[in-house]
Amino acid sequence: MEAHEWMINYTRQTEWIDRRGIFLWIAFYAGGLGGGLYLVSLFFNSLAGMFVSWLIIAVIKGGAHIIYLGKPWRFWRIVTRPQSSWLARGIIFVFGFILFGAVQLALSYWAPGAAEMAFKVLAGVAALAVTIYTGFVLNTVKAVPFWNSTLLPLLFVLCGVLGGFGLAVVIALSGGNINLEAAEAGSRWLLIVNALLIAVYLWTAARRAPTGRLSVLEQMRGHLAPYFWGGIVVLGIFIPLIIGLVGEFGAALHSGVLIAGVVCEIIGGLALRYCVLKAGAYKPLVARQPAS
Amino acid sequence: MRWGMVVDLSKCVRCYACIAACRIEHFLPEGMNWPRLMALETEGDPPSVATYSLRCNQCQDAPCVEVCPTGATYQRPDGIVAIDQDKCVGCRYCVIACPYQNRTFLSKDKARGFFPESGPTPFEEAGKKLYPHQTGTTEKCNFCAERIDAGLAKGLKPGIDRDATPACVNTCPARALTFGDLDDPDSEVSKLIREYDGFQLHPEYDTNPSVYFIDHKIGQPDKPRKKDTKSRRETAGSAAEK
Repeated sequence: MEAHEWMINYTRQTEWIDRRGIFLWIAFYAGGLGGGLYLVSLFFNSLAGMFVSWLIIAVIKGGAHIIYLGKPWRFWRIVTRPQSSWLARGIIFVFGFILFGAVQLALSYWAPGAAEMAFKVLAGVAALAVTIYTGFVLNTVKAVPFWNSTLLPLLFVLCGVLGGFGLAVVIALSGGNINLEAAEAGSRWLLIVNALLIAVYLWTAARRAPTGRLSVLEQMRGHLAPYFWGGIVVLGIFIPLIIGLVGEFGAALHSGVLIAGVVCEIIGGLALRYCVLKAGAYKPLVARQPAS
Repeated sequence: MRWGMVVDLSKCVRCYACIAACRIEHFLPEGMNWPRLMALETEGDPPSVATYSLRCNQCQDAPCVEVCPTGATYQRPDGIVAIDQDKCVGCRYCVIACPYQNRTFLSKDKARGFFPESGPTPFEEAGKKLYPHQTGTTEKCNFCAERIDAGLAKGLKPGIDRDATPACVNTCPARALTFGDLDDPDSEVSKLIREYDGFQLHPEYDTNPSVYFIDHKIGQPDKPRKKDTKSRRETAGSAAEK
């Protein structure tokens, strides 16, 4: 009876989250995290941070994208048509970042100067594009009202930069050239802004269309509730915020506590991407109708 | 010229012949269906069942064509949305973008073969030569474009001559499917749409599908029941949200 039940009710998208779709989820998050960390590292001028962000994008994001494709050895075809979609443009941004980032890292290490600065600008622009494009990939899909929001790219950028500040804290604790207090402060403020933006995003999605409302309810009360409340709210927002506030107004925190807060932030970011992808749903092809 | 199809909802008897014909015509792997049947119980006492025979709508403003990053999905001059399997990278953006969920990604587990323990059947062996499918790519109905092209080359008319008409239309025993040129006002499909107030699914997406639905009743005079068609059109389209 499976054919009979198909698309009668709201149907969740599965291709980009279930089974091998998990790789796309990882790729989307790694892009945000890597791009965000690069921007934060530029701010602090931390070569270690830039190197880590380059590894995240080149290895984790690039690798996950390639693994996800049905025909991985044809991946080069994607970059030949940038006019087609944000997915094509996004992969070009990724390649651009890998190239410019590699040159910049080499120049920063061996030959700092004007050329290094030029490549920092190029890699920085590419990093921002890598961070933001996944939002456009999703929000241009008209068929999924939950994604069809202009807030989504902004949310993904903020989430990526937030993760970047978190990793910057870890790099600072590891002896990298980053000001720990400044990284902590940035992380705290972005956490608050991010929490507000998530609330606004869900509120607007719930008001946009019944399918969007259903996606929001699915997160808050349905199968995704443990991921939403446990992953996004508790681990992603509440615990890092408590740690941040204690660090701001209370006693000095042990580095293990700070690292635990960063881990929670990263889990929260992963949970946010997971819920956004998992809750995307299509409206029924045909509504149930009265007998004629 | 724009090829289109009209599905008469009142004539479909849910026999699955269209699906079987498509499977045979295109040697579809085990886990793949291009056309699908959607049946739903209507309210009432006793409830009745409404059936929709569905397939790729060959949209004129197809979201799948717009988003395809490689150009593997393209639109032919006759309106058919086709896929070049050799260009598809299997990113599945088209699957996500299709509001009608009419595309399927052919993963390895969907192409294991009908009897994996016994090896491929003669039918499957023939399919590998005549209509090869590539795992790792996306597939969908193509209105039997190969039949249309071969028929046109012989001077046949799709929708009228069987050899130039999609397999599902030829096979339908209830004559619920009609195929023809939507741009020709005298074609059977154009007449049916005009006379019976044909409607498309989810017009609010502005995709302009080439598959229309009508619901005039069997055994009744060839008069559209305006009240019914209106209510069905509303419920099938934007009213799906209400």
